[in-house]
Amino acid sequence: MSLGSNLDLLTVTFYGTAIALILIGLYAALVKRSLIKILIGLSIVDSGINLLLVSIGYLKGGTAPIFSPAVIDKNPAMVDPVPQALVLTAIVIGFAVTAVALALVIRLYRHHKTVNIDEIKNLKW
Amino acid sequence: MNIIHITLGILLGGAILTYFANKISGVVRDLMFISTIVVAAALFFIKMTPDTVAVFNLGGITLSLGMNHLGLLFSIIILGLAVLAGFYSLPYMKGKDNLGFFYMNYLLSIFGMMGIVMSKDLVSFFIFWEIMTWSSYLIVVYNGNKANKIGIKYILFSALGAYSMLMAIVMVYSQLHSFSIADLSAGFTTMPASYQITIALLLITGFAVKAAMMPLHVWAPDAYSNAPMSYTAMFSGALSKMGVYGLVIVFVTMVSHLPQNFWVRETIAWLGAITAGMATIYAIFQDDAKKLLAYSSVAQLGYIITGVAIGTEISMIAALMLSIVHGMFKANFFMVVGAVERQAGTTDLTVLTGLIRKMPWTFFSALMSAIALAGIPPLVGYVGKWMLYESLISNGNYILVIVIFFASTAGFLYVFKILYSIFLGQEEPEFENVKEAPALMVIPMVIIALLLGFFGAFPGYLLKYIDNALVVMGYPVSQGKWWEMTTLFNAWGNKVSTDLIMYTTITVFVTIAIVLFYRWKNGRYVSTKDISLSGEMPKEDENYSFKLDFYKPFERAISPLLRYKISKYYNEFADGMEAFFDWTRRIYNGNAQTYAIYVITFLVILLLIANNIFTV
Amino acid sequence: MVGSPVQLIAIPLFAAFLIPLLGKAWKELVRITPGVVILYLLYLSVDLLNYTIEHGRVVEVIAGWTPPWGIDLVFSPFSGFLATLMLFMGLLVWIYSYRYQTFEDYDDYEPTLKYYLLLMMMITASVGVVLTGDIFNLFVFIEILGITAYGLTAYYRHRDGAEASFKYLFIGSLSSTFLLLAIMIIYSQLGTLNMADIAVKAHELKPVYKITALVLFLVAFGIEAEMFPLNGWAPDAYSQAPAPVGAAFAGIVVKAGLYTVIRLIYTLFEVGGTYEYLIVMGLITMFFAEFAAFSQTKLKRMLAYSSIGQMGLVLVAFGIGKEEGVYAALFLMFNHAIIKSLLFMSGSYLVYKSKNKYISELNGVGKMMPVTSFLFALGAFAIVGFPPFAGFWSKLAVLTAAADSGMLLIIALILSISLIEVIYYLRVVNRIYFVKRDTDLGITKPTPQAMFSMLVLGAIILIVGFYPDVITGVLHKASATLLDKGSYINDVLSLSQTIN
Repeated sequence: MSLGSNLDLLTVTFYGTAIALILIGLYAALVKRSLIKILIGLSIVDSGINLLLVSIGYLKGGTAPIFSPAVIDKNPAMVDPVPQALVLTAIVIGFAVTAVALALVIRLYRHHKTVNIDEIKNLKW
Repeated sequence: MNIIHITLGILLGGAILTYFANKISGVVRDLMFISTIVVAAALFFIKMTPDTVAVFNLGGITLSLGMNHLGLLFSIIILGLAVLAGFYSLPYMKGKDNLGFFYMNYLLSIFGMMGIVMSKDLVSFFIFWEIMTWSSYLIVVYNGNKANKIGIKYILFSALGAYSMLMAIVMVYSQLHSFSIADLSAGFTTMPASYQITIALLLITGFAVKAAMMPLHVWAPDAYSNAPMSYTAMFSGALSKMGVYGLVIVFVTMVSHLPQNFWVRETIAWLGAITAGMATIYAIFQDDAKKLLAYSSVAQLGYIITGVAIGTEISMIAALMLSIVHGMFKANFFMVVGAVERQAGTTDLTVLTGLIRKMPWTFFSALMSAIALAGIPPLVGYVGKWMLYESLISNGNYILVIVIFFASTAGFLYVFKILYSIFLGQEEPEFENVKEAPALMVIPMVIIALLLGFFGAFPGYLLKYIDNALVVMGYPVSQGKWWEMTTLFNAWGNKVSTDLIMYTTITVFVTIAIVLFYRWKNGRYVSTKDISLSGEMPKEDENYSFKLDFYKPFERAISPLLRYKISKYYNEFADGMEAFFDWTRRIYNGNAQTYAIYVITFLVILLLIANNIFTV
Repeated sequence: MVGSPVQLIAIPLFAAFLIPLLGKAWKELVRITPGVVILYLLYLSVDLLNYTIEHGRVVEVIAGWTPPWGIDLVFSPFSGFLATLMLFMGLLVWIYSYRYQTFEDYDDYEPTLKYYLLLMMMITASVGVVLTGDIFNLFVFIEILGITAYGLTAYYRHRDGAEASFKYLFIGSLSSTFLLLAIMIIYSQLGTLNMADIAVKAHELKPVYKITALVLFLVAFGIEAEMFPLNGWAPDAYSQAPAPVGAAFAGIVVKAGLYTVIRLIYTLFEVGGTYEYLIVMGLITMFFAEFAAFSQTKLKRMLAYSSIGQMGLVLVAFGIGKEEGVYAALFLMFNHAIIKSLLFMSGSYLVYKSKNKYISELNGVGKMMPVTSFLFALGAFAIVGFPPFAGFWSKLAVLTAAADSGMLLIIALILSISLIEVIYYLRVVNRIYFVKRDTDLGITKPTPQAMFSMLVLGAIILIVGFYPDVITGVLHKASATLLDKGSYINDVLSLSQTIN
């Protein structure tokens, strides 16, 4: 399960994609000026993290973690169910946060008539 | 339950009740206030015996209170003045706003001071010190004019002092694991030298702020003059003495054990002397009576600090004597100015004039205080100064003597200025209707004035208490060696009979008075404007008194010295700090993205240096 | 023992769904129900706290899965003390907000409903954060806490609430990202999410993973604990949220944030250098926050920065370590919760009518609102540590703890910072009482409910100030519990006192 072992192509792809997503998302969140783009960036970061989390539990050739004798008899190697549960939770949370954030962006736009983050700084110092 | 609980309980409870009594009526409040002080003082002096102790356990810390002769000496100053100034306060403050608040803080500051002189451990000392500080602060800003500037200056310096004291307290704790003052004086020598010197200096800083020692005095003139005069009498008379009380303890229990090469005694003695000199000069040029007296307080405290710092037996007697006497005459002086302010509506020395016939009793008190302040026999003021000079000379500090002698002589100038400007000179129509202050204000002033005379003849009554206090601090008995009830000795075996001086002076004055009175029949009553100058008859409305630019020539002579005002440097420092604070908050520039960049940057930096700061 | 820890979380969650339904029956129920629920939870929590102080911690397993597999709730004197404090503050905040007038400006009761729902959930999530023994569960509670806090920050439409809320959300989601990454590293290496189990197995972690996870945790939790330079969101959120929410932030939310840092450093990872890290970061936080507070012109922002500064001091106290340090830190947290909430509550009534909430608009308000002003002044005196008020004892505790460890420089720095604090607080008090009123702003009298909760807080300040022993016993017990890591692990994993 550890990051160092069985570095095959699939694993590398998973991890690589996840890290790339995180970095892309961070780039968008830190550099783009539009609130919407920042939010998209944050969502991408979220996706990257979720992907990373799922890949940790992945076991090559493993089956779905369901306790049914038929499946287990055929292939006793299951993928780890915990990361999947975590990811489901994280996705739900990410969804909720994004929804709140979008609502805030709408409010900000109505108030400031812009979504440029540089112009929305009434509160400072 | 012993007298310590009772005294403190009465003062604290009285403070709170006085505040609420204000909601009922002004009379109830006044009665509550004055009876609190009187009852507390009466019980205290009747019941208090040295070696009474009271112990509280709070928050895992043992707070112990007790009383010894040194504390008793200062309690006399505190409670004595509190009673007199308390009575004075009733008519003086009449009709002002928020009196419940004022009297509550008045009592709280007395509560704090009494707590200080009773504290036997550093934490309770600090607690009472802070209570005293913030209650007096609330009174300083009570008048409201420039409350922010004056009040903040006072509380800033007070907090600076209090926190250096707190720093010293926890340093003591880290070494001795005890807060007790007795343990401190016993264990002081066992500490490392660096701790010894730091603790001593921090404590001195803390006390020097309250005792208004240069360069920590800048709050004092404003704070003294801005508080209501009935409180300033306490403030300058008693509260500043708490700094002296602390200094006495520090010098006796700590500085005497320090290695000689730190020059602590010499430095503080010199700072005290310079404070005395500079403040005297400033006092001379003040045109406001309150300000003048405020500077004068700083100056007088300078002598006391010098006396404490020299630390010989005679100089300690001198310092404590001066503390008591200064408490008396300065409180009296502030009361006089308060009475003038109340009756004549101003304290501006260039406006006030010729009140001697309107306020004769006030003038009498002012005159007595002035004589005591200037240190002229036969009033008690000269006893302390006499001893201070003697201690300095016998100690070989001739330059200090010169500085102090200069300051003391120059002290004549400002007391003369205040006496002349307020009471003498021409009578002006605008003060036509000024009357003598109410009896409740006059009586405390006259009592103090008479006491100044009485102790001038019999200084032994005060020196007895001082002697007891010094014995507690480990000095030998001084009675018979330095003084008798009515006699002062000096190091060369000469002696001065104080009662003889008093009787002689009284005889002389009475004789003159009789002669004058006898010749009265031939005199005629003239207006104070009935003067002629060089054959020229001045008009009725022209004022020929010379109190504008009273000491102009003198001022011109020493003006180069005056340019170095220490508060200028403080102000520059404060401005600089403020600009710096303002600059730092620009880190929060309001942009969410910048904040996010801070977060990421911090994360990256932490990741990079993590291996160096965290060890797995 | 009347209930179990899980009720502290389950009941409000259930109530949250009921409230809208109850509101359909009688609108006032929307206001009443959260209070009743919190009151009951407080009763439960006090009772549990009494029990745990005598019998040691209570570990509750959810759904029968024993640790390290299932999720567990740990109610120890330490976490229980914090939970009780949060619920108590929550109750006072609820009383304060009851009939808070701004909410009545809206015609419909929809905003009221949202407000009380969010407030109750925020308190619940904070309690969940301190009780949970599972690190992913912690993440979930932090997210719930975050979302409710974002919502409450943006509560007022006419202010810049949305802006503040967006900043909070932006930084908050970075925090959750790092938190999730750290959890992932832990899980991938150790295969467990239970905190006690992680603490046992932490030494198996390879240094590189351990340090990376630690740093990610520190940054994630540092954001919640308002550590400099991660706290850009905090002053905005404090100042834009409705007054009771500001009080709740100071009294409840930031306590949860601090708890996470402490749990991480004291229980989860035993890594050298973390205590020093706490001290250094705490001092930096203090310095910058107090500098910023000094030059604020708006009252609530000043209070917010001051709150951050106090959190810095708490971090320093935790960094000093040992029982004295932890005791001092908990004492500070308690005092800060009480005092800063009082300041927010009374302060916001003092500038109620003002649009910009400038400090200069406080001039002379003391004559118009004597009681509220008095309470504000009391809070100001207490927070700068004047005896005989509550703040003094905690300050003394911090200093003696530092002195015990010989950290004289730290004492000096703390004291010099306190000087700044004294100035800016007393400047405000001066304005309230001793400067003449120069604006024609009217005043709004506090509602009786608001006055009641402020008076309760004021009374606590005085009681603790005059007789600190009412609280010190619990604090000593709590700090001893936090430091006894072995028994934490033992209790959770061997389930000595488990309730199923």
